[in-house]
Amino acid sequence: MLFSIIQSEWYKLRKSKIIFIILAGPLVGLFTGLNSNIAAENGELNKWYFIFMMMTLTYALLFLPLVTGVLAGFICRYEHQEGGWKQLLSLPVTRGRVYMAKFILLMGLVFFIQLLFLASLYTAGLIKGVQDPFPMQIVWKSIFGGWIATFPLVALQLWMSMIWKSFAAPFTVNVIGTLPAILAVNSETFGPIYPWGQPFLMMYIGGGTDAVFFIPWEQVLGVVGGSFLIFFTGGLLYFKRKMV
Amino acid sequence: MIRRLLQVDFMKMKRKGFWFLTFLGPFGVVALQMVNYGLRKDYLLQQSEDNWGHYLGNITVFTPLALVLGIVILTSFIASVENETNAWKQLLALPVSKLSVYLSKFTVLAGLLFVSSILLAVFTLSFGIFLNLGEQIPWIELLKDSFYPFFAGLPVLALHLWIATVSTNQGIPITVGVLGTILTYSSYVLPDWVIWKWPSLNNGWNEPVINVWLGIGIGLLLYIGGMLDFARRDVK
Repeated sequence: MLFSIIQSEWYKLRKSKIIFIILAGPLVGLFTGLNSNIAAENGELNKWYFIFMMMTLTYALLFLPLVTGVLAGFICRYEHQEGGWKQLLSLPVTRGRVYMAKFILLMGLVFFIQLLFLASLYTAGLIKGVQDPFPMQIVWKSIFGGWIATFPLVALQLWMSMIWKSFAAPFTVNVIGTLPAILAVNSETFGPIYPWGQPFLMMYIGGGTDAVFFIPWEQVLGVVGGSFLIFFTGGLLYFKRKMV
Repeated sequence: MIRRLLQVDFMKMKRKGFWFLTFLGPFGVVALQMVNYGLRKDYLLQQSEDNWGHYLGNITVFTPLALVLGIVILTSFIASVENETNAWKQLLALPVSKLSVYLSKFTVLAGLLFVSSILLAVFTLSFGIFLNLGEQIPWIELLKDSFYPFFAGLPVLALHLWIATVSTNQGIPITVGVLGTILTYSSYVLPDWVIWKWPSLNNGWNEPVINVWLGIGIGLLLYIGGMLDFARRDVK
């Protein structure tokens, strides 16, 4: 049953303007990639690293956290119009499964955006004429890590988007969380525990490159996993009790 | 007529969080520095001889971002007030001109953002005095940093009011806003003609006041363009 709800969610999304949002990701990637000044880096460092670091700086710090909110708003848009929640929930579906379906579809979309971002890195590198070997393993680690880090943010934004009809209100919550991340990721005390900073910390090539992710497991499980559990359960409980 | 339209718009804004956002923007910008200075005041004061200048520099990192995001949120909110209840038809069925309806919305938002600028100056000054940054308060710089971005941001406001009022799907203006935020954040690599660069007050001439005049001039043009298009369209 879950699968058919996901299908119907996808069906509702397909003809909406969601494609503009999805294409915004690689657009930001290309923009920052082509603006990176790789000529300045003439040391031993692989030029792909340099271009990728420049790209993740803007993408993972601002774009990725902000776009989760826009996607979540889109996925609840049909239901907020003309009694859509009533129609959807009068079908023989449980609220828990509807919530799961929306969440799974959102995570699928974020993953797709991550893949397009990877493609934009490759394109930017080709245009810039980077000759070095492509560090596939490290870049995958970053793409995948960034995706993991958006789990709590997507859960919170789905919750907020279910509460409010307007796009602007959940977006405000998102902005309040995201802007401080610019400062937080520079701090050794706050950076590791700030959920909105994690997409950057998990995407930025730095830290321990021999582990599975760029940040320690305790941080992945404790901060990303912990905040995900709180936001996901909060959203689920809210939705189960929501008056439609 | 415009005075009564303004009254109507202010009434519709009640208890919808507009005033809260007006306060939150400038407060958030200064609060980030409260945390920053709270954690590492000694280190930050060592960075420069000119403590006030350094402090204002830290504040202005976030002012353009907060301003652009604030514009995106406020314009989308004011359009949602009419969209969600399908009130455009009812509003425009009244004996009011579409041009003045649009002017009223723009004036209200510009007013709120101006109040934000005043609050930014007050909060910046208060926390600066609290930090004991020195006797010589750089009044001119403080006022420039608080009010110039508002004028330089008018084109973004005009553009977003237009996008938000003509979009039935508010996801579109928000997405444009996210892209605009990215441009503002990367303003140092952008050419001078990009309007999202202007609130950062940087330009090739090193003259922040040029961005103010450009903002007022281009803002007016974009406003007129948006207003004429709004008047031309049918509402749902």
